[in-house]
Parts: sequence; structure tokens; C-alpha cells
Amino acid sequence: MGKVIVVTSGKGGVGKTTSTANLGTALALLGKTVAVVDADVGLRNLDIVMGLESRIVYTSMDVIEKQCELSKALVKDRRVDGLMLLAASQKNNKDDMQPAQMKAICDKLRSTHDFVLVDSPAGIERGFNNASAGADEAIVVTTPDVSAIRDADRIIGLLQHARIEPINLVLNRFSPELVGNGSMMDQADVLDILNIDLLGIVPEDSGVITSTNRGIPLVYEDASPGSQAYMRIARRLTGQRIPIPDLEHKGLLTNIVNWFTRKR
Amino acid sequence: MNISIKQLFGRRPKSSNIAKQRLKLVITQDRMDVDDRFMTRLHNELAEVLAKYFEFSANSVQVSLKQKGNSYVLVADFPYKKFHDINIG
Repeated sequence: MGKVIVVTSGKGGVGKTTSTANLGTALALLGKTVAVVDADVGLRNLDIVMGLESRIVYTSMDVIEKQCELSKALVKDRRVDGLMLLAASQKNNKDDMQPAQMKAICDKLRSTHDFVLVDSPAGIERGFNNASAGADEAIVVTTPDVSAIRDADRIIGLLQHARIEPINLVLNRFSPELVGNGSMMDQADVLDILNIDLLGIVPEDSGVITSTNRGIPLVYEDASPGSQAYMRIARRLTGQRIPIPDLEHKGLLTNIVNWFTRKR
Repeated sequence: MNISIKQLFGRRPKSSNIAKQRLKLVITQDRMDVDDRFMTRLHNELAEVLAKYFEFSANSVQVSLKQKGNSYVLVADFPYKKFHDINIG
């Protein structure tokens, strides 16, 4: 039986979809069977971020309306073994789906996959309720800024209320330089406020933009710092004990050298 | 006054610290589902009761909710000048 993990945040634009795409791909690269589910009905994006947009025929709504079997609606990612995408319907809206229907889909997927990652829409309303309905665990994605953290705290409260646990944090777009000069909260500050466990830190990486442009998740590129961070997080999800590197203790010079010597 | 002296003679406080303090305050209030009006009312009523027992300067009073690990504490800071000479009980 696989695990169903909802990837959520409250605030939009903090990297939920990027994180879902990369963690799903990373888990498949580690040999796991993975289904990634786009729960953002009406505003789907996981397909385009993963580069699978041209291959979507059926969506979760077709499965719910019994237009097709679940297995038929899953799009296989041909670049890696064991990775499937279930797209959201673009012509429906969030109220067309019931939490129980999403839960039924997640329960079916968990019987055939090691991991089911559900990409939640932003917000705390119906879309979030649908996305989290079938989840055992949650990954809360936030960036180190006040609005994202405040919204993350709201979502954590709702997840706790729904008895979804563990709730782990991914701190995204972390800039060691800004933390170093006191312009950005560090992980200790964020954890002190949110009071949940840290699953990983993803450094700011311009590679995310180019990988999204191309529809090729960052984790296919070994050298990128974002890619390495997502691979470490995926390993932790599989139960491996991988320490979280202390990104902020690197000096500015080290970071500059790393930036110039990385492969692009 | 306090802030302007600091700005004149020292460095400005790091914005990350300001962010953290602001967040802690607002998130504690979010979690407790209390707003500014509630806090003001609590402040005023506490002051009303405490004024019976001792003297304090109204502008130095601070009433706030703080997070302590997994729980919350109400911190009421009433720096007293002197106790009133009354018999309690």
C-alpha cells in the first residue's frame, strides 16, 4: 500500500507544482512507482510543468463521471519508469468535485503506486479540501517571506484539524546570501514560527525557470542546486536519513564560486 | 523616540528579525482567533481591575499573546509604581 501525500501551501506561487513535479520525478528516479495528481480543477498546471500537456486525453473528472477507467486516464511519463500523471479537468471548476470522489481516486492509486503526490490548489476552500481529502501525510511548501509563512500556518492548522500527519515543511527559494546579510529569515526562524518538522530546503535556483520553460523537471539535471535539494528530499521521503545541509553557513565567496562552476 | 535614537547611533535592525517578530505576533493572534479589538478590550479590562491594587503608568502597559513551544501564554506587563494601601481579604 502506497502513501498519499498532499503538497500544499495556502499562498499561490510558492512552488507547489514545481515541488510536486520534481519530487514525483525524483521518487521515480529512485525506483519508486509514483502517481502525481493535479487537484487544481479549472487551473491545471502540473501537466505543462512536467512537459506532458500534449498527451492529456482524460482527466480525474472523466474518471469521476465514469467516462473512462482510472488506469486509462493516467498518462505515463516516458522519460522514467513508474511515473504517472492524473490531470485535472480544465473546463470544470472546484465545486464540480467532491472530497469523497478525490479520496476514492487516491485510495485506488495507493493500491498500485508507492507514492501518490497530490498537487493542491492555493487557498483554503474547496480546492484544498478536495486535494487533502485522501491524504495520509502533507508537505507544506513555503518561501521565507511573511505572507507565505502566515498562509502556511493557516494551512497547517487546517491539516492538523483534519488529522493529517506528519506535516512536513519544504522551505523553497531559500537564498543563502540574503540570509547571510539579515534580509531573509533562516530555517530556524521559520521553524520557530511554524513549529513543524523540516523535510528540506530548496535554494533559489534560476534553473527552475528554464526547466519549466522546457517542461523537463529540474531533477533530470544532476548539477543544479535545486535538483540536488529535491533529490535529497525524495530520499528522505523513502525513509533514508539524509542530513539537511546548512546552506546559510557557506560564505558568500563559496556561493559565488559554486555558482560559476556549476554545470548549466 | 527609542527608534530614532537607535537609527541615529546604531545600525537599523535586520529586516529578517522584524519579519519574524511581526509574524509571531500575527500568527499567534490568527491561531487564537483573536483580533486587535479583543486584545484592546482585554487590555482595558485588566487595567481597570489592576488599577484597584496598584498604580502604574498607562502607556507602559503591554498585553500580548506569546507562543511557548506548543502552547500559548498571555503576557501582561504592568510595571507598577506603588501598591495602594488597601487591606485585601
